[in-house]
Amino acid sequence: MSSSFIVFLSVFLVSCGQEAREKPLVKSIKVWHWMSDREDAFLELAKRYETEKGIKVDLELYAPSDAYTQKVRAAAQTNTLPDIFGVLGVKRDFASFVKSNYVYDLTEEMNRDNGAWKNKLFAKALAVNEFEQDNSFGVKPGIYGAPIDVTNIQMLYNKDLLEAVGVNKPPKTWKDLIEVTRKLRAKGMQGLVSGWGETWMIDCFASNYAFNIMGKDKILDTIRGKVSYADPDWVKVFDLFREMRDEGALASGIVTMVNKTAEQIFANNRAAFAFNGSWCVNVYKGMNPNLNYGAMLPPEVSDKYPMAIWGGAGSSFMVNKQSKDIQASVDFLKWLTDAPQQVFLSKETQGLPSNKYSLKDMPMALSQFANAMDNATHPNVWGVSESPIVIEAFDKGIQSIIIGEKTPEQLAREVQAVKEREMAKNQ
Amino acid sequence: MKEGAKYKMERFLKDSVIHILLIMVSITCLFPLLWMVGSSLKTQQTIFSDMSLFPRNPMWGNFYSAWTKGGFNMYFINSLFYTITVVSGIVIISSLAAFAFSRLKFPGKNIFFYMFLAAMMIPLPGSFVPLYVLMTKLHLVNTRIGYILCMINVGLPLSIYLLKTFFDKMPVELEDAARMDGCSRLGIWWNVALPLARPAIAVVVIFNSLNVWNEYKLATLIFSTKSLMPLQRGLMIFQGTHITEYPLLMAGMTITALPIIVVYLLMQRHIVKGITASAIVG
Repeated sequence: MSSSFIVFLSVFLVSCGQEAREKPLVKSIKVWHWMSDREDAFLELAKRYETEKGIKVDLELYAPSDAYTQKVRAAAQTNTLPDIFGVLGVKRDFASFVKSNYVYDLTEEMNRDNGAWKNKLFAKALAVNEFEQDNSFGVKPGIYGAPIDVTNIQMLYNKDLLEAVGVNKPPKTWKDLIEVTRKLRAKGMQGLVSGWGETWMIDCFASNYAFNIMGKDKILDTIRGKVSYADPDWVKVFDLFREMRDEGALASGIVTMVNKTAEQIFANNRAAFAFNGSWCVNVYKGMNPNLNYGAMLPPEVSDKYPMAIWGGAGSSFMVNKQSKDIQASVDFLKWLTDAPQQVFLSKETQGLPSNKYSLKDMPMALSQFANAMDNATHPNVWGVSESPIVIEAFDKGIQSIIIGEKTPEQLAREVQAVKEREMAKNQ
Repeated sequence: MKEGAKYKMERFLKDSVIHILLIMVSITCLFPLLWMVGSSLKTQQTIFSDMSLFPRNPMWGNFYSAWTKGGFNMYFINSLFYTITVVSGIVIISSLAAFAFSRLKFPGKNIFFYMFLAAMMIPLPGSFVPLYVLMTKLHLVNTRIGYILCMINVGLPLSIYLLKTFFDKMPVELEDAARMDGCSRLGIWWNVALPLARPAIAVVVIFNSLNVWNEYKLATLIFSTKSLMPLQRGLMIFQGTHITEYPLLMAGMTITALPIIVVYLLMQRHIVKGITASAIVG
């Protein structure tokens, strides 16, 4: 017994002694990321950077994103964050990292040389990483992150299915959309599919139409409590879901559907329309390379206000304020967001680049997504945020309309009641 | 004669219901496994269109691709090493601790035992940040020993509880007889308690092997060097933010599930005994 135990102990101690402390021979920067589908592209770019600049980039992947978030939070508490990292989650989390002195303010770098760096990036993508004057988080105004790609969420249409019902171009107005879905229904085809079991997607769709029907100011006033959710314009937004239900425009099971299932249905030509993000170009390519489709803005209900879609920075990197070589980290991010690297990343991952001068040679659907960046907005850049409890009542209420449990008017009253309760709590 | 036939009929019906239920449970257990193996033989396109359990043209190459692309060579050896060392550590420490809690009298015995039990109630993710802070202060972050110690710590409470329950039911006479034969306390633990506790140890081994083999989140927290990561890290390669390479993921999962299925099959007899342990001791 004792001899085998000694052998085991020796093997154990010898193996454990092989600690992974690499001594850097050249200047290096450490980057933590969570994007496993971009790992190969990042590794290739790191290799190119080392060849070009003589600086080694140690990329460390921690996925999935919740494991990454835990790692970043734990590292922040022990002051062991790498030179470059990303903060996932809502803007409040980002603000707490900035206020704790973990994130370097990139404003000066962005504005240097007449804003050379800032001007080549999509403004909508930068906004997600920006804190404005008098922001509610109490963060010093500035830009605290560099977007490496952008995304937005639009509608997709299946060209073959539309042609099958005699429609040659995508619908521009809500009326047209309903008309097309009637034709599809008559031929036994499904209309719109989306992952509305994930409530944020319903929120996104409803928000797009709220912008179109009542405009940004009225939406922000509703969040501030100055306009009621029982206002006729909000009822009109809710009524769109009732209309889609009554017209049979929605794919069956949409209320409980996760987006992965919705993507599968659209990719297999089993629904004519989808509501999905720009990442879908890569997803559909994997599921069905022959899918014949295009992207379009959600058809307008009104011509009073422009249609807005959710979008902005997809993924962003921040520079650690405690990093020993802040300038090296900033320089790497500048290089990463330069056109050649952005074109490479976009080609490899079929994503939208954050650099607006690198939109060359893109697949048709992806360039349609890129063209809509001007219409992009996001709750993170509105400056005011709705209570999560109100959002939940709003999203779940729309699900209730779709399954016929509630009327738009009833939901409008209920959401307003929740809003009033929440406001009373905060007073 | 009539009653005999009635009894046989009742018995037949009872057995049939039980067997139908068991078959249904078996199917629900086996179906995900079969689906995993079937999906591992499809392509990225057919996985979304071919709904058959086994494809007509199986892509056996997926297993090779998963192994090479996922870097399983390195990760497999790491996981094997972590599983063996952690489970060995847990068995040695928990059996010693359980024996002490069961057989020795020392001040604060119950308090210590309840503290171990309380540790079972804390889910692992809840202790991530304090663990990371502790490991950093001890300079054990990004070391194998740091990860192994954490995993032993995670597995101890349940193992101590299981073994203590077992030792509590061990007849005192056996211990007395061993002492009369000149055994020390450690000798009694090694020569009497451990051999008798084999079924319970089998349960401890299988539970902890499964736990260590499938662990990934703590490894992500402790390690920053890829070469130290366990097998589950290889599977993450196939899961992107928006894209998942399902055939390779399923092939990778089949590969990772095999060793643990083998361990389970080898220890199956002991596990059944361990679960009904009280009937066996003595």
